[in-house]
Amino acid sequence: MQDEDDRLELLAKAKQLVENIEAKNDVGTGELLSAMSIDRERSLFKEVGHLTRQLHDNLASFALDEQLIDLTGKEIPDAKERLNYVIEMTDDAAHKTLNAIDEILPVTTEMQQKSEELSKNWKRFLGRELSLEEFKDMSGEISKFLESSCVNTKIVSDKTNEIVLAQGYQDLTGQIIKKVIALVQNVEDSLVDLVRIAGSHEDATGTHKEEEKKGLEGPVVPGIVVEGAVNSQDEVDDLLSSLGF
Amino acid sequence: MDKNMKILVVDDFSTMRRIVKNLLRELGFTNLDEADDGQTAWPKLKAGGYDFLVTDWNMPGMTGIELLKMVRANPDTANMPVLMVTAEQKREQIIEAAQAGVNGYIIKPFTAATLKEKIDKIFARSAG
Repeated sequence: MQDEDDRLELLAKAKQLVENIEAKNDVGTGELLSAMSIDRERSLFKEVGHLTRQLHDNLASFALDEQLIDLTGKEIPDAKERLNYVIEMTDDAAHKTLNAIDEILPVTTEMQQKSEELSKNWKRFLGRELSLEEFKDMSGEISKFLESSCVNTKIVSDKTNEIVLAQGYQDLTGQIIKKVIALVQNVEDSLVDLVRIAGSHEDATGTHKEEEKKGLEGPVVPGIVVEGAVNSQDEVDDLLSSLGF
Repeated sequence: MDKNMKILVVDDFSTMRRIVKNLLRELGFTNLDEADDGQTAWPKLKAGGYDFLVTDWNMPGMTGIELLKMVRANPDTANMPVLMVTAEQKREQIIEAAQAGVNGYIIKPFTAATLKEKIDKIFARSAG
């Protein structure tokens, strides 16, 4: 509407200007022309003022955008720590698994060789091909084999359980990576906001997204301090026993 | 402790469900079932037949703490022992779980010995 009013005012002035020129009123023409050029300058100043104000508001709104400060100051460095921890955990799990296998393989190889050897002698015994001396040797071997079998199968089962437990990294790293994915999404949204605000003349204030509901904390990552978090199962047990558990 | 009791293992990560089930099997429990979050676990629990619940906390759909509260709120399941196995390790959360009536709380990553100890403790108490 402002534009329309301005236009009507300009039109009235232009008509007056034509009238003045036709009436050869040079003084009136001169005054009117200078008044019109002052108007023009004034509206230019108004526009510059408006833009300046808008720029100031936008900058101020960015400075106050806690989400952005949080992202750059805290969450991105945290994300680096988190991803480093993922590398550490996968590395640790891979080594635990490989170490356990390193211990299992020689045991199974030894058991396999021994049982093959004994099986050969056992067949000869069944075919009555063994001398008394050889039979005595074989029964000694069988006794030793049975004893070592007890020890060896225990080793294999213990180590296998270690391998099973080491796979827990998948759950924990999965939770950490999900958090980092959410952060990347957040950064993307903020960048889109930034582009939108920079490219439009709309007032940026009042377009803030509601602060995202804080989710669950998830695994504690070394190097990232989580207030009020316990550090070990012992602390959990202490806390629960203080509650009467 | 009845090694034939029916145990429901709830975790959104299938690897963790396998790990917990493997460890439980190693401890002699054979009657094991699983669910991937509270929403799938609850109908199973409500249908009955379960003696023990082992659940994670942070899961999509329905979280472990919500599941625990539902279990306690329903007369048919109110007395079921519940063990929480979770990466959540803030004091306020542990307290919240305790107040909701959890019977044991294990933080990940955990060891086979910890799992055994907590289960022994839960059933020693409920037997005594």
